[in-house]
Amino acid sequence: MQQLLNGLFIGSIYALFAIGFTLVFGILDRLNLAHPAVFAASAFVGIELVERAGLSIWLAIPLVLVFGGIVGLVVERVAFRPLKGRPDAHFAGLISSIALAGMVIALLQWRYGPDTRRFPAGSFPDTRLQIAGAQVTVVQVVILVVSIGLMVGLTLLVTRSRLGRGMRAIAENPNAARVLGVDVDRVTATTFAISSALGAVAGVLFAMNVNSAQLGMGTAIELKGLAVIIVGGMGSLPGALVGGLVLGLAEVFAVQYIGSSWRDLIAFGLLFAILLLRPQGLFGARKVRQV
Amino acid sequence: MIAQYSATITFIALGAIFAYSFYAVLVAGQLSLGQAGFASVAAFSAVTLGPDPDQVGDLPALLVAIVIGMAVGAIAAVVLGLPTMHLRGVFLAIATLAFAEAVRILLLNQEWSGGAQGMSVPKIVTPAIAWIALAVVAYWFWRQGPSRYGRALAAIREDELAARAMGIDVGRYRLSAFVVAGAVAGLYGVLWAFFVRLIAPEDFGFSTAIDGLVTAVVGGSTMFLGPLLGSGFLTAIPELQRALGVEAGWIRPFLSSVLLLVVILFLPGGLASFIPRRVRMPPTVGEDFGSDHAGLATRLHQASGETVAELVGLSKEYGGVHAVRDVDLQIRSGEVVGLIGPNGAGKTTLVNMISGLVPPSSGRATVLGVTIGRTPAHRVAAAGVSRTFQHAKLFARLSALENVLVGAHLVSRPTFLRRMVWLTSARRDERESLEHAARCLRRVGLGDRATTRASSLSYGDQRRLEIARALAADPSLLILDEPAAGMNHVEASSLSTLIRSLAVDGLTILLIEHNVGLVLETCSRIVVLNFGEVIASGSPDEIAADPVVIEAYLGSAEEDPGGPPNGSIAAGTLADPTAGPDATKRV
Repeated sequence: MQQLLNGLFIGSIYALFAIGFTLVFGILDRLNLAHPAVFAASAFVGIELVERAGLSIWLAIPLVLVFGGIVGLVVERVAFRPLKGRPDAHFAGLISSIALAGMVIALLQWRYGPDTRRFPAGSFPDTRLQIAGAQVTVVQVVILVVSIGLMVGLTLLVTRSRLGRGMRAIAENPNAARVLGVDVDRVTATTFAISSALGAVAGVLFAMNVNSAQLGMGTAIELKGLAVIIVGGMGSLPGALVGGLVLGLAEVFAVQYIGSSWRDLIAFGLLFAILLLRPQGLFGARKVRQV
Repeated sequence: MIAQYSATITFIALGAIFAYSFYAVLVAGQLSLGQAGFASVAAFSAVTLGPDPDQVGDLPALLVAIVIGMAVGAIAAVVLGLPTMHLRGVFLAIATLAFAEAVRILLLNQEWSGGAQGMSVPKIVTPAIAWIALAVVAYWFWRQGPSRYGRALAAIREDELAARAMGIDVGRYRLSAFVVAGAVAGLYGVLWAFFVRLIAPEDFGFSTAIDGLVTAVVGGSTMFLGPLLGSGFLTAIPELQRALGVEAGWIRPFLSSVLLLVVILFLPGGLASFIPRRVRMPPTVGEDFGSDHAGLATRLHQASGETVAELVGLSKEYGGVHAVRDVDLQIRSGEVVGLIGPNGAGKTTLVNMISGLVPPSSGRATVLGVTIGRTPAHRVAAAGVSRTFQHAKLFARLSALENVLVGAHLVSRPTFLRRMVWLTSARRDERESLEHAARCLRRVGLGDRATTRASSLSYGDQRRLEIARALAADPSLLILDEPAAGMNHVEASSLSTLIRSLAVDGLTILLIEHNVGLVLETCSRIVVLNFGEVIASGSPDEIAADPVVIEAYLGSAEEDPGGPPNGSIAAGTLADPTAGPDATKRV
């Protein structure tokens, strides 16, 4: 039971990170490799807000959300919009977002140095809850609630709102969407902002979960995020949720039964099996080929 | 001075070799991140299996290790490539990345590879050895570029479907590019091992793969010097910063990233776009088409009147929608068959089935002796079917002439390996292909546009270039899917003249067209589709007078009382309102 819960906590962070990843991919068909850098940056910013500004951790989370959204707008403006209409936009977008990620990480190094950073002692309430014989902290419950809440909110946004309709129209066909009066540039920018905001919250939650933030934390989760969105189905939001939870659980149980050195192999084994057996992922729809 | 920079010089060469392993697949439009895995497997196996330098001497030991490493890299690429070659774009990138990560984790947990500590390796590689290896690799890709093989890879990169329709076995070519990438990555792994003295699985992680990709793309992934330029540039930046006295730990990576961003945003072709591209032109000889095939394989065309294509009860269903239903059709050699029908009548679906791109749901069809449905598109093309597409699918970044050269894939001989050793026969074959391609271009009136990029041609010229490309395959059955779409009436009538002259040469032609006037004056027989079914078939005069056809096009007489009932479809579509005063300029 304890393992199950631990798996759910870490899995919900994976899912939140991956949903931001897959949102941009599903709607805009671009892989934004600056996403992991936003994840890392927001962990540091969250710690900074609590440590320097003396804010409560509960206030820091929404601020980090806003921070992530702003960074997302910058990423779109600098790394993706200038490439619009180029035949190699796919490769070029990968590279430009890698470049931007490099700049963000360098700035973090300038501001915080290479060392691991932690939340100041006493930032979290240390109340522990008993759930079905397993111990959980309030922080862990918050992680789960915030992640699930944001994911439900995003799903409602995409399926119900006018903005969501615009997103789905662009996913279907950007040119047709533009002709029909969708402000493609604005919806694109908003998509990036939402995606990065989710990645940012995932970053600060991750830092809360393990109470540390490192420069390399983005890279570590990047590969898992990629695995999750493939397993769930590229561009599928429920797929990313299920994929993230499955990965979190699989890792926790792998550590228990196989050994911690093999934990990271789980993600890639799962990924490979899915790619071979069901390339469109668990929840993805197979695209009909265009002739 | 030199000694001070010898490590830098060697790293430039090693980085370039690694970047070439990305270039090898990027030229074919594949994004793979598995090269770090290939390099890792190759380095560890070569160091483990290779002979001891103390016993056989440094250089022999290194050479044996290189052979082992390249073989292991290539084998790993085959093993990974066979199950993953059907993946495209980002999916392939992530699958190969997963492979590389799996290799890293496996090696970390193995005894023989030393786990996280890695293995120590004697230092054998000198700057000279690294640069010689780089020269060999660069030579390979230099000779590959303008060969039949290199053009086929470029065609796959630009438009995979069109490449398949030109008879290129896309799966095989993609796999071969992947295997070359594996071998080159293996070479890099071995050289790296014998240069840095200590190898650990962490040397070949995700960031290594990203570095290789970045180097190749920054340098330019469509020009063979690209990876070398990229490696020089990216290795030099930190050195330059050091020389300028920039020391703070974060500034260097920051500036490198800024430069990377600038290059990718403002230099779409990478650094190699500074190098002017040489476009080869053929000598202007042989005005007539078809009579001079010396050096090119020629097909055996069906004798006039023999069956070219036979469709029996052919149907295609898309999720309950019958795009094509129960079509029976026979095409005989020498015919010019017109296929008309309103939008959505199933014309394009029908020719997609005939050219092997879409398998039928039911019914059977035999085209030039091959059975449709089980035969991959490139085999159908090899049997003698060549086509154009409704929306021009040209190889956008290649010149007009190169587009046509790809079209001649099936009738030209492979030249890559012979080009490697400068055989004159390869040069002769290339020249003959060029002449053949130039003849095809002149045949459609594009002789003076040979060096123009396909994407810069006007719309009408793009349509004609597609016809030239299809002609270059010396087809028995030529399928033209709406070739006159978007042409003004002057262009359309010259197209009609061209099609009839091709028919006189004995080509069998299946023409899909909305311009009914063009079809009526060009074709010997016309088939009319509506809602996926054949509603009429016959000579142009019969079709023009057929009340069923007129109804399908103009609606019934009651709905449209003003329209003249007979022969009006021809008159109506011939008067193209887009043919303004500028129409005469282009003649």
